Amino acid sequence: MAERRGVAMQLVPAGAIFLGLFGASSVFYFIVSFWSVKLYKLHADFTFANYLKAIEQHWSVLLFTLELSFLIGVITTVLGFVFAYIIRFKAGRWGTLLLLVAVITLFGGYLMKIYAWKTILGNEGVINTALEALGLIDEPLTILFYNPGAVVVTLVHFLLPLAVLPIYSSMRGITDIEMESARDLGAGAWRTLSDIVIPRCHTGLIAAFALCFLVSVGDYVTPAFVGGTISMIGSVIQDLFGRALNQPLGAATSFIMLFASFLIVLAVSGLIKAWRPR
Amino acid sequence: MNRISDMLWRCIGGLYVVFLLAPLLLVVLFAFTNRTLAAFPIEHLSLRWWRAMLEHPQFLPALKNSLTIGSTVGVISAITGTMAAMGLSRIEPRRAQTLTAILCLPLMLPPLLLAVSLRTFYTQSAGIPLTLGTVILSHLLFTLPFVVLVVYARLRNFDYRAVESARDLGASPLHAFFTVTLPIIRPTVVGAALIAVSLSIDDFIITNFTIGGGVTLPTFVFGMIRTSLTPAANAVGTLILLMTVGATLIALRLTRYRG
Repeated sequence: MAERRGVAMQLVPAGAIFLGLFGASSVFYFIVSFWSVKLYKLHADFTFANYLKAIEQHWSVLLFTLELSFLIGVITTVLGFVFAYIIRFKAGRWGTLLLLVAVITLFGGYLMKIYAWKTILGNEGVINTALEALGLIDEPLTILFYNPGAVVVTLVHFLLPLAVLPIYSSMRGITDIEMESARDLGAGAWRTLSDIVIPRCHTGLIAAFALCFLVSVGDYVTPAFVGGTISMIGSVIQDLFGRALNQPLGAATSFIMLFASFLIVLAVSGLIKAWRPR
Repeated sequence: MNRISDMLWRCIGGLYVVFLLAPLLLVVLFAFTNRTLAAFPIEHLSLRWWRAMLEHPQFLPALKNSLTIGSTVGVISAITGTMAAMGLSRIEPRRAQTLTAILCLPLMLPPLLLAVSLRTFYTQSAGIPLTLGTVILSHLLFTLPFVVLVVYARLRNFDYRAVESARDLGASPLHAFFTVTLPIIRPTVVGAALIAVSLSIDDFIITNFTIGGGVTLPTFVFGMIRTSLTPAANAVGTLILLMTVGATLIALRLTRYRG
């Protein structure tokens, strides 16, 4: 009894922060999505108007964001898988160093990574000045920048470490004995990959895709810096809490975005789980 | 054959490292240019943009705020996270895992949603003015899960016999904690706290929505990139990178992270 009270006491501070802040703010945010705005003031209400308006006004932006984020999620997960595979099975003693690079780039430099791509792809950027110096072009290539491709490259670079780590931690569970027995039984490299490595990485692959996809869906800084005129749903939501102040519409848009993203994550994780050994 | 394929894999690994690091190294390099543009060619290396950064009226407040927020978040998440991890290590692993997964929910949301829902909560429901305090509270939501995960992993292979002997010899639970448990797990706790500090110092999105009027290093550099695109932004960015990468490296050494 005293033991259980002790455990409860230890969980209280973290639990209070979690429930009092995350729990309460999420519930309140959901409630606000049914409220209305009168003269820039929130008005307690119960209306679905925000949801209808959000779908009506922002449907095409949402769809575009989901497509782009899906692409980013897939590219990052595949690249992350290959990198994790190299660290675990191919790099030997260099593996630790490669892992270190992934971890270091994970915890720092969100804004700096976006800014870096601006200095690489921009009109005065590294690529354009290099091509001009080589005499290959006379005027800066404007197609490098301010387009969806620049958003994809920037976000893949930012998210790659986030994809590598969960996949790598799945791969650590695969023993060398398993790999060797597969080889001894006559399985080639591809067969081992598809029958042993990928099925054992389900959890890591799903976590990697879900994280990368969700962060991309909600990002608004990257499109603002390198995306030019393209609009993503994050930019819309951010604007609804800034210039175009309308928190209920912003909240409703958020929940539609979350729900749609959730469906996609669910579908993709179903697809990943369907990859079984033959 | 095998040697060629090994070489190939190593080359691909090298390409990954270049892809991950080169953009960041460019930002650092351009912080030392003498020209007014963060671009090639660099005529010669100079510290003029570091001086420009130091002379900017917003720099010192931003640095001070970032350090205040980062250190407070580090200390609070280390204490509450370690307590939670200790509690979790004493219940069945399966229930502990469920609780940890729930605690990790804020990490699964796009940061923007966490930011706007917290802002709405503070300003519209609780009537709390946006200050550094609201930023600190908000950061705890995404730093706590990391501390709990790291410390819990350490406690799972912790030998409790030492603590039990201390208790048998008459030490109070608190006394046993400070004289036996804490000295053993201290490197892990400090490492976890440093990860929390580095996440907190690097955060832009949640800070931007919960700070009210003040500036931190990331919101300061965001303003610089938006308005005047000078290499002073590279200097501030390099400073942020130094702080976060430095904290992460020390943390990795302390926790002996291996994936």
